[in-house]
Amino acid sequence: MAYRVLVVDDSPAMRSFVRRVIELSGFALSTCFEAANGQEALDVLRNEWVDAILTDINMPVVDGEEFLRRLAADELLRSIPAIVISTDATQNRIARLLSLGARGYVTKPFLPEVLRAELEKTLGVPCD
Amino acid sequence: MLNRALRDSVDEVLETMFFIRRLGEPEENLSESELAVQLTFEGNPSGTLTLRMTATAARSVAADFLGEEELELSHQQIGDVLRELANMICGSVLSRVESDTTFRLGSPQLVEPEQGSGSMQESASAGQPAQANGEGGQRDPIVHAVEISHGVMVVTVQTEAPECLTAEKLAF
Repeated sequence: MAYRVLVVDDSPAMRSFVRRVIELSGFALSTCFEAANGQEALDVLRNEWVDAILTDINMPVVDGEEFLRRLAADELLRSIPAIVISTDATQNRIARLLSLGARGYVTKPFLPEVLRAELEKTLGVPCD
Repeated sequence: MLNRALRDSVDEVLETMFFIRRLGEPEENLSESELAVQLTFEGNPSGTLTLRMTATAARSVAADFLGEEELELSHQQIGDVLRELANMICGSVLSRVESDTTFRLGSPQLVEPEQGSGSMQESASAGQPAQANGEGGQRDPIVHAVEISHGVMVVTVQTEAPECLTAEKLAF
């Protein structure tokens, strides 16, 4: 089985990097959608189903925290697991985002295998 | 503590996300043009991080990060990568020194290199980073310069003194 993933980050460079890392890590990726902020991500999700979301926190328009709140408030979207990718590794921040509904948290910088492991854990992918 | 956090963060970000290992201390004579990115951060401490890099090194770093050929990269792409690099280093530094508190990062902006603290040549030849209380509510900047493939990168962290933070908060 291959998975559809949405990458949400205001940095085009970071979106490109995350997509490349997912591919290089060996994760079973079928389609990678991109959005520059939470609002764009919600627009994508109105038209495309994805298996997982990878989202940054600090973004313009709708930031990562508000995006998580809106996902949690949407009956159709709340079941999609969201993993936060952030430079902020402080325990307070991690706890707050998990309480908002994030299902995983990856701190930048990260190794490709760490991102893959978090995706597979969140999606319940059986080990090889 | 901030010195060590900066050095460790630069090494970790370069190696993990850019697949670059620093080559050591930079040579003293630098004359190449450079690019600079700056972002502010709020927390304990608050301050500014400035990242400067020689233009050739910036192109090489961007190519590594994006997995593209150097000659195919636009200025926009190189700027995006430098902003992301500064963002990751700053977040990593603050996470090391503020493990129990929350900080806030500003948006990294490309700036004129002169807006950093001194020229890259001065920073690169300044030797070991130092930290001491300066005047005007700011500490003396912490500078970390490294030689990487095709050039030099200099990261400067300027923090506000705690007493300044208190005074500013009282003013509001």
